[in-house]
Amino acid sequence: MSEQKYQYTENPFAVTRREFITITGVIAAFLALPAIWIKSVASSNNAYIQARTQGLYTDDVKSTIRVSHANTAVNRYYKEFGGEPLGHLSHKLLHTHYINRTKGLG
Amino acid sequence: MSHDKMILKHPLSVRMFHYFLILSFLPLAVTGVLLYFKPLSDAAMHLTMQFHAVAGVVLTVACASFFFLAYDRVVLFIKRVFSFSIADLKWFAVLGGYPQKLILRKKVFVPPMGKYNSGQKLFGIFVLIGGSLLILSGWILWGYPHALPRGFVALMGNVHLIAGIVLTLFLCVHLFLGVYMFDDFKAMILHGKIPYEEAKEMSPLWVEKETIPVAKITR
Repeated sequence: MSEQKYQYTENPFAVTRREFITITGVIAAFLALPAIWIKSVASSNNAYIQARTQGLYTDDVKSTIRVSHANTAVNRYYKEFGGEPLGHLSHKLLHTHYINRTKGLG
Repeated sequence: MSHDKMILKHPLSVRMFHYFLILSFLPLAVTGVLLYFKPLSDAAMHLTMQFHAVAGVVLTVACASFFFLAYDRVVLFIKRVFSFSIADLKWFAVLGGYPQKLILRKKVFVPPMGKYNSGQKLFGIFVLIGGSLLILSGWILWGYPHALPRGFVALMGNVHLIAGIVLTLFLCVHLFLGVYMFDDFKAMILHGKIPYEEAKEMSPLWVEKETIPVAKITR
């Protein structure tokens, strides 16, 4: 940095009090309005999620069969064909193996 | 006036802020262009995104610090860039006399300007609004895309892209004219001062109405 002196500078009172307050008000408005907008957008997103959650709960309440072990089709499979849950035949038929196929996507 | 007399045009707070803008916006512009065109490998693009995010945080911290620590300068800047008169139309009609000076080597009449000429005011408005939009949309895209609706996040993506392109184009012009006005370049990068006579020629209204002798303040 240079050590050179200066003889003139800006007038520190280049902005009047009225201008200062007006500009501050405008800045406050421009900071607040997007904040309020984003907050309302975010809460509308939450409202959608809450409605979806409520819908799923309502579906559950309306459902006569709510758990897989009470499913008559599954029970019939074990009774007439698969034997017992986690048994040898069921494991052989129902258990799946993971194969990484992501390389084939490119 | 003596030729040796100097005016402090850019105080330390403004120069410090400008240094941080150089440190953050230049990498942001370069990495932003790379992220848009994706010319590198996956690993290199990932690294580019990390650089972009870090530079974005530096830009945000610099802007927030300047806003709170030098609020008077922010108000002054806003007042100056949003002050218009018929002189601005006349300035744009001759484009500040730069094309005539650079291409035709001719000097044309340019209306007297304040601290910023009309082109700088336009640049200032774009930097102020575009920069705010870039920071806001950048944080939403980087930090909170999951917390907001998909359509809104997509809108922020478009805003980020358009504001980024506009400011990057403005940056190219700013770099060229910044170096062309070499005394002003030195003032912003080094010591903050410009010769009184040059200021009187480039910004006569600023010198006449907004500057005072230092002796008047320190007295």
